[in-house]
Amino acid sequence: MGQTIYWMILWVVILAIPNSGGAKEEGKEYKFDPSEIEKKPYHIGGYGEFRPVLNVLDQNAALYKVKFYNRDEGKTTEEYNFKGLLEGSYEKDAARLFMRFNYDWNHTYEGWSGEGKLYEGTLSLKPLSSVSLDLGKKTLKWGKGYAWNPVAFIDRPKDPEEPDLALEGFWVGSGDFIKSFPGPLKTISFTPVVLPVSEKVNDDFSQVEDINVAGKLYFLLYDTDIDLIAFTGGSRTTRYGIDFSRNMTTNFEIHGEFAYIEDFQKKLVDANGNVSSKNYDAVSYLLGIRYLTQTDTTFIFEYYRNGTGYTENEIQDFYHFIDKEYDQYLLTGNDSLLKKASNVMAGTYGRPNPMTDYLYLRVSQKEPFDILYFTPAVSGILNLRDQSFSISPEALYTGITNLELRLKAMFLVGKGDTEFGEKPNDFKIEFRARYYF
Amino acid sequence: MIRLGISFAVLVLAMPVFALDGTQLLRQIDRNLNPESFEMYRKLINVEPDGRKKEFVLYSVKKGLDKVVALFLAPASEKGRSTLRLGENMWLYIPNVGKPIRITSLQSVVGGVFNNSDILQLDYAAEYDAEKLEETGSEYFLQLKAKNKTVAYDRLKMWADKNKKLPTKIECRTEADMLIKTLYFKETKDFGGGIVRPSVLETDSPLYKGYKSIMIYAQIKKRDFKDEVFTLTFMPNIDSLRK
Repeated sequence: MGQTIYWMILWVVILAIPNSGGAKEEGKEYKFDPSEIEKKPYHIGGYGEFRPVLNVLDQNAALYKVKFYNRDEGKTTEEYNFKGLLEGSYEKDAARLFMRFNYDWNHTYEGWSGEGKLYEGTLSLKPLSSVSLDLGKKTLKWGKGYAWNPVAFIDRPKDPEEPDLALEGFWVGSGDFIKSFPGPLKTISFTPVVLPVSEKVNDDFSQVEDINVAGKLYFLLYDTDIDLIAFTGGSRTTRYGIDFSRNMTTNFEIHGEFAYIEDFQKKLVDANGNVSSKNYDAVSYLLGIRYLTQTDTTFIFEYYRNGTGYTENEIQDFYHFIDKEYDQYLLTGNDSLLKKASNVMAGTYGRPNPMTDYLYLRVSQKEPFDILYFTPAVSGILNLRDQSFSISPEALYTGITNLELRLKAMFLVGKGDTEFGEKPNDFKIEFRARYYF
Repeated sequence: MIRLGISFAVLVLAMPVFALDGTQLLRQIDRNLNPESFEMYRKLINVEPDGRKKEFVLYSVKKGLDKVVALFLAPASEKGRSTLRLGENMWLYIPNVGKPIRITSLQSVVGGVFNNSDILQLDYAAEYDAEKLEETGSEYFLQLKAKNKTVAYDRLKMWADKNKKLPTKIECRTEADMLIKTLYFKETKDFGGGIVRPSVLETDSPLYKGYKSIMIYAQIKKRDFKDEVFTLTFMPNIDSLRK
């Protein structure tokens, strides 16, 4: 633990030293080189990132038991995470090829591991400014919410603790058809999407092979962004959504989402480990605001109702099952049911925010006390059902061109049998240095 | 009494002439600064009190009274970000995040003294009414009032060169006449295509003592664009407009 903190402090000191590369102003002549605006047919860029993490474990938590039942890592674990995100594009006439590749290389208590993934790879055709066609692996990122997006039917779930991270896309064919008008209806655009699922294509979207279709109809009507969204096909049940975003005043924005999922199947594990499922029509919605004060403080506040989430009793059954099987493992050494619990968790009990009602608040202050390029923030998620919560203070510094430094901590607070109380950590601190090129 | 009546009538009839001239002058200034529909490249330089600077390169496109879009070309951390203004609506698109979010005119996506409304500047005549016009030596002096509350600065005091009909200095003020920032238009340059205008815009602010921001203009060209370019859906594709 001491070593991890030492390395974090060292990196912060080294990278936060005032950049001597930034040229001082000499005289009043400012240069603008034509090469800076020359358009090339190709582009390569991205970022490299180093992120050491210290986790303080909660050895009484149910999810700790599932993860660490057969190893003793002590009270803390350390991670050293390296990430490279590489983007490249090539354009010729109306065609453009774009690729975004992500490679993660991590050292954790389990040793070194690495994984590379193609996040996006698309061939786009833009014959007109009002028409665009895309084929390939793409993220769509539908929805107006900041921490959650119940209408993001064709996106991988994002982490509300890191909502701005790039995500891996799905293989799709899509188009954008745009039309502008004078008057209160300023824009209409339609985005149809075809998402095939087969053994080798989008098999992580669903195990049911089929051709699925979705669409988004966007309006800018009376200065309000409105989307109507629908998805249907055999791979997942039919679902409909609507979202909106509007500035009520220049510094006050309101947004919302509503999703209706037909015949949603919720997987359940009772306290004895019996797996069952419940089918019902699920309704999820979100309402949020974004407010900017005159002193450059930004507030983002959202309420999220997760219609696919677990009730208190349902999730407590799962925690009790784990506790029981952990005790059984200690007595007999049989871990088969603990492994079963671990397998069931993925995408269900183990996903971020698996229960039903949440509040999110993020407060960030731009350059307090006139400290240039420094933005402290604090964000929190409150589970309204069990009153457990997480709170994450952070400090971001971007004073060195193309270098972003962030120190972030996360405190998880909750009693036993609560969402944040049963997570494997009590506390986490991480430092992130990201260099763009 | 009759003289009073005549004097009053002359004053009343004369007032619209001043107001018309002020508005006409403002429109002329707008057209001398930029064509109604154009593309341009700019560099924004934020200079800190210790002399350090941070630079941004932008590609901007404007059409008509209220459609502007700007794309960041440099530095690498900002490349691909775009901002769109359509009437009173403003959005920011960040490639990693993948979807546009609404922003306000008083925020600044680049930091420094310039804010979003300075970067996505509309025609002055679109946002302001000319309340007063005076001639002072070789300059015009215009007092402008925002047409509504959504405009970033409630009042502008503009000094413009009489011959060139181009601004030399603009003070941006609040309703209570407090100075927010001053813009200095410098180094007139011929950009071709009949566009002769200041190529450097410097700004400072009593609210940011010691800081300065500079905007350098390059390659301003008249060009027509479809309305569909200025939409949320097109924001990820702004770079395709560049030739």
